[in-house]
Amino acid sequence: MMLRNLKFAFNSAWQSFWRNLAVSLAAVLSITLILILAGVNLLVGHAFSQVLDGFRQKVSEISVNVSDDTPLQNVYDFQQQLTADQRVTSVKFITKDEALTQFKSDPQNGILAQQIEGNPLDAKLEVHVANLSDVSAIDAMARKWSGVDPTDPTNYQGDFVNRMLQLSQWLGLAGVGLLLILLIVSVVIVMNTIRTAVYHRRKEIEVMKLVGATEWFVRGPFVIEGIMTGLIAASIALALLVVAYQPAVDRFKSDVGFIPLSYDPAFISSLAGDLLLAGALLGALGSYIGVRRYVRI
Amino acid sequence: MALRKGVGPIGALRYTARDLATRARRRVTTQQETHLMVLTPDFATRPVISFQHVHKTYPTGTEALRDVNLEVPEGDFLFLVGPSGAGKSTLVRLLIREEKPTKGKIFVDGIELGRMKRRKLPYYRRKVGLVFQDFKLLPNLTVYENIAFAMRVLGEPDHKVQARVAEALDTVSLSGKENTYPANLSGGEQQRVAIARALVHAPRFIIADEPTGNLDPATAWEIMQLFLRINARGATVVMATHNREIVDLLRRRVIAIDAGQVARDDRSGRYHDDVAKPQVRVQ
Repeated sequence: MMLRNLKFAFNSAWQSFWRNLAVSLAAVLSITLILILAGVNLLVGHAFSQVLDGFRQKVSEISVNVSDDTPLQNVYDFQQQLTADQRVTSVKFITKDEALTQFKSDPQNGILAQQIEGNPLDAKLEVHVANLSDVSAIDAMARKWSGVDPTDPTNYQGDFVNRMLQLSQWLGLAGVGLLLILLIVSVVIVMNTIRTAVYHRRKEIEVMKLVGATEWFVRGPFVIEGIMTGLIAASIALALLVVAYQPAVDRFKSDVGFIPLSYDPAFISSLAGDLLLAGALLGALGSYIGVRRYVRI
Repeated sequence: MALRKGVGPIGALRYTARDLATRARRRVTTQQETHLMVLTPDFATRPVISFQHVHKTYPTGTEALRDVNLEVPEGDFLFLVGPSGAGKSTLVRLLIREEKPTKGKIFVDGIELGRMKRRKLPYYRRKVGLVFQDFKLLPNLTVYENIAFAMRVLGEPDHKVQARVAEALDTVSLSGKENTYPANLSGGEQQRVAIARALVHAPRFIIADEPTGNLDPATAWEIMQLFLRINARGATVVMATHNREIVDLLRRRVIAIDAGQVARDDRSGRYHDDVAKPQVRVQ
């Protein structure tokens, strides 16, 4: 009997979707638009987090300048001390000669490199810190070390790191906030669209109730229709986003070159899952709420 | 248009609806003949419908029913009559539990409607067949689908649905119209579809609210014949009506409602208590 009821619900959902095509399409359209907005938000969020990850990598690396008169053993000891520290992922020692080679190999320094005599550059320890928030502690430790160059101890810029930290927090919050707003708006829109669809069929619901249909029997077809509508809308939104994703990234890259945005095909499958789930849930929830007024007696 | 003859316990039905309609127009009393076709309800047994001091006041303050007491034995056929706004429709709405009584108790088949849980309501409604003045057919479903709808709701298997719908269509003489849409039927035919839907799940009660209100006299008679046949099969019929000719001709139980109260309860009554003085209040 459960199976028969389910079959009836599916059949009647399918029929009513096509019989009320105009209203169905309106619902599909509004859910599609909402899901496109949500999808764009997710994609932009993902791109930003990629960019932020890049920045994080850079700022979570500090170089400690070693003064010229420091004995090599002293440097090795400090390097070991740093490596043993749990907050540090890696330490690389760069000698004065290596530093000069690095400096000269950078084409931006071409003219300057020709003018320098001897080697004014310090040897340095490049320290990779696992967590961005631990960088300042490592910096403080390095400054206290006896072998550090007192005129230019490290390249750490506290302000910049703090701002980056704040920015990433704010961006994360803004993304969540935007998603929440979209969610509320979409449930309201979907609910109203589906309520319009239900309103057209209130007589049918009335007759169903009069001949003794249970609330779930009345609701079932509407909820299934809502899920169908949501899935169709999600598919359309997904198709549009997938088509537009790569060209948009390319365009952005050529316009704003300094932000290292990249195309990430692996993200599409997770986006697809999110959108389909969101579509189905939106449709189901919207129908459930939309139909409730008419189902209650 | 003739009704089928010799079916079941109403084999005594020897005339057609057209005959009856003709007599109705000529105001020929067929009282004795119609009495032949019915079961006599047993008033001594426990009633299947009972109203005990029922009051209904709407949230707007309108007092629709005041201290209504009624008892209906199984197999009874009763007319609810009275002027518009007297409370007939409220009584019907209470019976199908669209409304709850403000005070008092209503029992149907041993269930107290006012205290019934909401989730039990669908199962109660399945015991009742409902017929309305405006038919309440679904325009986008065919005749067959409309009737089958009442069975599908119960989750019945296809073969059973088919058999019962065919039977119901036969009872209302609409076999062959299965695939027609309601818009292509006459008013009388639409009401017959509605009756078929009301009886397809073999309910114990038929509650009808002005079932002949939108029909011409001849068609109204055909519809009344159907109700009599259903009653003869054992279903209890409660019918709110304004159709004076039918009530006066059939001489069945008449309950007159006036200003929210039972003004009269006659086992074999007429539309008006006294033809010369219509709408007399008793008590």
